[in-house]
Parts: sequence; structure tokens; C-alpha cells
Amino acid sequence: MKLLGKLWDTLVYLLLLAGGLTMLVPFFWMVSTSLKAPGAVFDLPVEVWPKELHLENYQKVLTSVPFGRWYLNSLVVALGLTFLNLTSGAMGGYAFARFRFRGQGALFLLFLATLMIPVHVLIIPLFILMRNLGWVDTYYALILPGLFDAFAIFLMRQHFLHLPKELEEAAIVDGASPWQVYWKVALPLAAPALATLGTFTFLAGWNSFLWPLIVTNSLEMRTLTVGLAVFQGQFSTEWTVLMAGLTLGTIPPILVFLLAQRYFIQGLTLGSLKG
Amino acid sequence: MRAYYRFPLLFLLPSLAGFLAFNLGPILASLFLSFIQYDGLRPLTWRTFQENWVGLENYRRLLEDPVFHKAFFNTLFYVAVAVPLEIVLALLLALGLNRPWPGVRLLRTLYLLPTVTSVVAVGLLWRWVLNPTVGPVNLFLRWVGERLVGLFTLLGLEAPGWAVWLAQEGPGWLSDPAWAMWGVILASVWAGVGLRMLIFLAGLQNINKEYLEAASLDGANTFQRFFYVVLPLLTPTVFLNTLLAMIGGFQVFGLVYTMTGGGPVDATNVLMLYLYRKAFGTFPFEMGYASAIAWVLFLVLFALTYLQWTLRRRWVVEEA
Repeated sequence: MKLLGKLWDTLVYLLLLAGGLTMLVPFFWMVSTSLKAPGAVFDLPVEVWPKELHLENYQKVLTSVPFGRWYLNSLVVALGLTFLNLTSGAMGGYAFARFRFRGQGALFLLFLATLMIPVHVLIIPLFILMRNLGWVDTYYALILPGLFDAFAIFLMRQHFLHLPKELEEAAIVDGASPWQVYWKVALPLAAPALATLGTFTFLAGWNSFLWPLIVTNSLEMRTLTVGLAVFQGQFSTEWTVLMAGLTLGTIPPILVFLLAQRYFIQGLTLGSLKG
Repeated sequence: MRAYYRFPLLFLLPSLAGFLAFNLGPILASLFLSFIQYDGLRPLTWRTFQENWVGLENYRRLLEDPVFHKAFFNTLFYVAVAVPLEIVLALLLALGLNRPWPGVRLLRTLYLLPTVTSVVAVGLLWRWVLNPTVGPVNLFLRWVGERLVGLFTLLGLEAPGWAVWLAQEGPGWLSDPAWAMWGVILASVWAGVGLRMLIFLAGLQNINKEYLEAASLDGANTFQRFFYVVLPLLTPTVFLNTLLAMIGGFQVFGLVYTMTGGGPVDATNVLMLYLYRKAFGTFPFEMGYASAIAWVLFLVLFALTYLQWTLRRRWVVEEA
């Protein structure tokens, strides 16, 4: 019986390892292809790891399309969204956690209800709105719709509710205004929640595709995801160059994830469990 | 504390402004849009609404549109196959990764890597991974096929056609209408399973250990503990995870856009992609028609969500 248990455990562990490898193989294939000579990808038998490293693929992706500009756009959008989301999410969350006002419950429910509305209902009128404002193909259109995010407000409200009130009350007794209490006392204590939300928003912003695809149309306003998707045809015969672009584009989100994994996982599970 | 009882306008200003301008306003506009014929060229004013009002015409056209039918069916097929696959795999993974193996943290991280990679990268990468001649998937399948053929030969039997086909060709994946949707599903499950696994893991770690100890004291074995204790207590997580996966699945877009563009011959065309093409793809744009697609999709999602909530009582165990 003991032996069977041991065997079973070994089998499970091996399966988990095999699964983990399955997760890695496509990434490995991406990097290895990006380092091969353009013609070498169709050589049979296949080279698993290139014999000679061809860094010119990276050079090519940087020069044949405005790759640097797309990279910058993605960074601006991801950081802009993060800043906006943290600011309005923390302020909104604080309002719901610390204030009592008429219609509070109804407003909060209304905000939460937006989470039920799928994105595709919004995009057409939102695009028309951006066009009427003359914002199509600008950073405004890419970033400003992130001003309201029910998830951010919900997450920050949870956090502020769990903060002990004593410090804030002491500040009020000392004559601080609500804004000063928020800015000097509550917000610094919310650093972990801000880190969670920030990690989340940055990743979502860097990886977003549908909205930037719709709302940009010039070559230099594309973000990285859109640029690569729209111009994949240009590399259709040059898998090595496309994979170099993908490798460069995948590094930032994976790096952010590895550095902020704890916060990322916290945010995910917080949103998914009955708190 | 009296200062705290006024309406915190200052604090709510950013989110309220965003909510009205970018959420509530567009939702209402979208409903109106679905009743007009609008090419997106003229400014959208009240007059435009009056002059281009077609009532339910957009919805009537949807009923007769063969491409819409195809996209609708494809979307349902995708959700019906990918979601259960993802959920079952993720549950098995979570059960496995909930134990203190050597390097278990690293393993969990590995499964999460595709979660933080953009769908565009996943789609383009999988186009390459599924390349019929040199992609790793077919290389592996051919290797398996060759072994099978060898085995049959060793036993002195004629190798069956499918084994020979596997050894020599393998599936044509994204270029073959019969295989294309399966290719998309494969990539989608690979990319999505980590997130579902993580949510299950959180659910498992939330289970009160006392129940398990009590079951053990009563002499329950591993399987009994799983089926009578762990699984019932995990049903709320299963419910939520399935619901979220389903809602996400109905909105699949980026993966299909990059992997197949909806082809070959509409084999992987999905609702979101069809909506995108109608509204922004080729001139003349049909933003009214596309809005009607959006609302049909929303109603289907709403109905399915409602159905799941009502069925919830029958199988989801609420802790007393």
C-alpha cells in the first residue's frame, strides 16, 4: 500500500513537471527561432537550439518597423493607465469606505453592475465619442477611458475598510481636512493595495489589444501588440524577425510579473473569492 | 467625524466623470445605435438618429445572415469545448500543485507565464508552434506516429492509415478548416489554464482543515475525502471559475485575430471578430448592425449567466 502511494506521488509529480515544460516549450521555441538564420527555420531535421546566433533578427525588427516608437507607446499607455487607475480608484474607494452619504449603496451597486457589461457593447459608441472629441489616434483615447474602473474602486474600498480608523481620527482631531487625512494618513497605508492594483493595471495596459486596435490608425500611434498583429503580414516569410519582436515585447510583462508576483496573485484571488 | 457625512464629491469626481462619459453614456448610445443604420461618417446627432431610424431591421437581418450564424455557432462551439477543458485541467493542476513538492512555487509560476503574456503574442507564437512542417506540436505528433508504425511493423501487422498519416503529415492545423478551431482552442487552453488553476488553488487553501481531519478520523480514504469533503466545499469556486471563463470565452477576439483572422473560410470566425469587421473593418462601416450584434451577444451572455445563477442552488454547497 505504501509503495503504491509512493508510485502514485511520483507519477503525479512527473505529470506536473511535464505540464510545466509544456508551458515553457512555446516560449523556448520563440527565443530559439528569433536567434536562427532566416532560412534555417525550415531545415529538417529541426535545430532545437541554433548552432550560430543571429542577432540581426533583432536589428531588423527595430529598423523595418517603428518598433521603438511602438514600445514607447505601450509604455506610455501602460504607465498612464496605471497612474489614472490608482488615482481615481483609490479616491473612489476611500469615498465608499469612509463616507456615509445618501444613495451610497445604490451608486456602489451601479458601479459594480458595469463589471457585468462586456466590453463589446461599449467600443462602438466609445469610438464615436473619441472621434467627436477629435481624440482618435492620440494618447487621450488610449488612456482616458481608464478613468473609471469598478474593479479598482472595489479593491481599494476593501482595503480601506480593513484599515483601523484610529490614525485618521487622530488627524481629524488635529484639525486636518478630509483631503489631508486621505493624502497624508490613509493613502500611505494603502501601499500594498496600490501595488496590487498597479501591477494588474500595468499588465492589462501593456497587453491590451482590442481598444488600441480600434482607436489608433497611424503607424506611429500603434502600440506594440497592435503593431505586431497588424504588421505580421510584413514578416509572413520572416518568422525569425517576428519572433525577435515577440521576444522583446514579452520581456516587460514577464519581468513585472516575476518582480511583483505576490501582489499579482493577491489581486487575482481577492477578486475571485467571496471576501 | 461629522465632516465625514457630506457627499464626498471631490473623491468621487474622477470615477463619476469616467463612469458617465465612458460607461453609462456609451451603453445607452449603443442601444440607440442598434436601431439605426449608421456608417460612422456623419457626426452622430439627434437628427442622424431620426433620419436613419430602422427600428428592428438590424436584428431581423441578423436572423438571415449566414455569416452571423456561422460566427454564432463557432463562438458557442469554442466556449463549449475550451471552457470545460480548461476547468477540468485547471482543477487537476490545482490539486497537484497544492502539495509541498520540491520546487512547487516555481512550477506554479511556470503555469502562470502565459497568463501575463498578451493574447497577440500568444496567438502569433502559436501560429508558429502549430506550423504543420516544423512546428514543435507536429514534430512531436510525427515522432509518436513513427513509433506507432514501428510498433505495428514489429508485431507483423499492417500499420493503419491514421498512424501512417500521423507519422508522415499530422494535422494541417490553422490552414485546414477541419482543424483550425481546434488549433485556436489548444492555444487558448494553454494560455488560460494557469489563471483558472490559481483561482482553484486559492479555493483549496481556503478550505477549513478541520473538515478534512474529521473525515480522516472517521476513516475516510484519500478518494472519499476528495469526493465527499474537498469537492463539495470547492463548488463555489468551480461555479465562479466556470462563469468567468465562459464570459471571457464569449468575447474571444485577439487570439482568433492573430492566429487565423477568422479563416479558413470562416471556420474560426467568431462574434467579436465579425462585430469588429462590421463596425471598423471594411467600408461601408455598419456601426448600427454591429451594435445589434453586440446586444445579441450581451443577451445570450446575460441569459446564460442567469441560468447558471438559478442552477447554482442545485449543486453549489453553501457552508453553514
